[in-house]
Amino acid sequence: MTDSFLSRFGRPLAVLGLLVGWLLASPLVIAGDVTAGADVFKAECAECHAAKEGRNKKGPSLFGVVGRKAGSIADYDYSDAVRNSGWTWTPEQLHTYLSQPAKQANPGTKMKYDGLTNAKDLDDLLSYLGSLH
Amino acid sequence: MLPPRHRQAMRHPTHRPLWLGLLMLLLVVFGPSAHAIPAYARQTGSACADCHAGAYGPQLTPYGMRFKLNGYTDTDGKGTKIPLAAQLTETHTAPARGDSTTRLTEGDLYLAGRLTDNVGGYVKVEADHTGHNTYNTKLSNVDLRFVAKELKLRGKDLILGVSVNNSPGFQDPIAALPNAALIGPAGVTGSLLNPSSPNTLTDRVIGATVYGLYDNNWYGEAGTYRSLPTSQQDHFGYNVAGDPGKLGNTGYARFAYMKDMKYQFFSAGVVALTTQRQLPRSGPHDDLTDLGYDLTYQYLGNREHIVQVSYVNILEQRHYGARLLGPQGQLAQNRAAIHDQTASVSYTFRQTYGVMVTHMLSSGPHDAVRYTPYGDPNATTNLFTVFWAPFGKDDSYTTIANVKLSANWFRFTRFNGRANDIFAAPPGSRKTNASDLNAFSVTASLAF
Repeated sequence: MTDSFLSRFGRPLAVLGLLVGWLLASPLVIAGDVTAGADVFKAECAECHAAKEGRNKKGPSLFGVVGRKAGSIADYDYSDAVRNSGWTWTPEQLHTYLSQPAKQANPGTKMKYDGLTNAKDLDDLLSYLGSLH
Repeated sequence: MLPPRHRQAMRHPTHRPLWLGLLMLLLVVFGPSAHAIPAYARQTGSACADCHAGAYGPQLTPYGMRFKLNGYTDTDGKGTKIPLAAQLTETHTAPARGDSTTRLTEGDLYLAGRLTDNVGGYVKVEADHTGHNTYNTKLSNVDLRFVAKELKLRGKDLILGVSVNNSPGFQDPIAALPNAALIGPAGVTGSLLNPSSPNTLTDRVIGATVYGLYDNNWYGEAGTYRSLPTSQQDHFGYNVAGDPGKLGNTGYARFAYMKDMKYQFFSAGVVALTTQRQLPRSGPHDDLTDLGYDLTYQYLGNREHIVQVSYVNILEQRHYGARLLGPQGQLAQNRAAIHDQTASVSYTFRQTYGVMVTHMLSSGPHDAVRYTPYGDPNATTNLFTVFWAPFGKDDSYTTIANVKLSANWFRFTRFNGRANDIFAAPPGSRKTNASDLNAFSVTASLAF
């Protein structure tokens, strides 16, 4: 019976275990709360960035930002620092960028932001940004 | 017997009739109004609600304060925008005494926005209904700025700018001072900084101030003003009867600590304005010095519920140049200290629905000669406002136009120091109570 159970469920369990292991090992498990992240966005980001597609404010739209190449919205006038950064806005890159003053993370950027030091708020925010598709 | 210089300066007090009280009312309820300017929204790509607690204004969020400090020059970078906007205001007024009216009370044209990355401004031209289907056009608030941004001092951010403006305090970023909040205590006396004072400086002077914001928290400003010639005031649409007089040796100073904590905002500031005023212009000069302080707190949270509390207290010290003589030959005091106090609380839900309560007190010392008929200048007023501003948010149907419906109740509880018979009506004539100056109004405003 045990052999039967293993043969039947062993492979899916192994895949699940690998997935769990990868998620736990990842420094950036996006375990944040999307709803709480929306509140963080409104307080920290929304004055300069819209969540709506195609709507740029003082900063570019953050619709679809996760996975996007930095400086890639065609009708937004980026600084050279962002355009030439070569970054892709992965969760890890966003975490690094937003956890410190913007001008320290990317000298020359137009963005004025002191950074988000509250770890939970940052996780929540990243989860929310990840939901903007 | 008085020394010759005092005899020369003797004047009799001006009697203040009923219309003055009504004028005070009109000044406050239908006085200068500035709101969210769609031209700024078009320029920045921002929604009105990014800069204003209620989506139609006027209360500023910390982001709105920074936009003002940056000289109205922030942009979304998408080319040049036409810096023009307009506002139409229809008002139904139901005064406690008198006929109700429904009129297009005001039409405004705003020249507002950036010229360059360092130069921007705000100019409002206002046409006010004056009865019989006629409108008086006047130059309202002006604030032209040059600003140097992105400066550093000892490793900290620094903004330096120059403002050329026509109302001391209007240029203030915190928007708590009377000229910036667009409301001040009504009454028969009032400070230089109060737009509701008799012979107010508001819109009738011109001045320049230099300001700086250090480390995002410390604000300082200093400058000077002079009054416009009466011919210029007339040219700009103002009745010369309201001339603020000739000003000399005028100095303005402001210092404030402002802390933006994203979810909350707090500020504490002091302000000073001193001048030697000749009113009338051929008369002796009065030495006037305003010293005030203001406190503001905002709970912003996720912008779902916004609460703002503010308090302003302005002391004006006066040394009169004229020794007024009363009808019985008594002399007025030649020194006085008057106070203007305003406390307000507001709550805004989803930046769309709001309620605001303002309590205002204008007070001064007893002076039987200067303040007829009772010698008491004290006045207490309240303004209750509820509003609905359906547009102006990121997810609104439109972000380039805005609408506001509001209901306002302006209430006098004391005028000339009294609640009843405030003008000391002669026997047999109708008495006027403070509550007779009350007015209820419903206003519809459209900005585009």
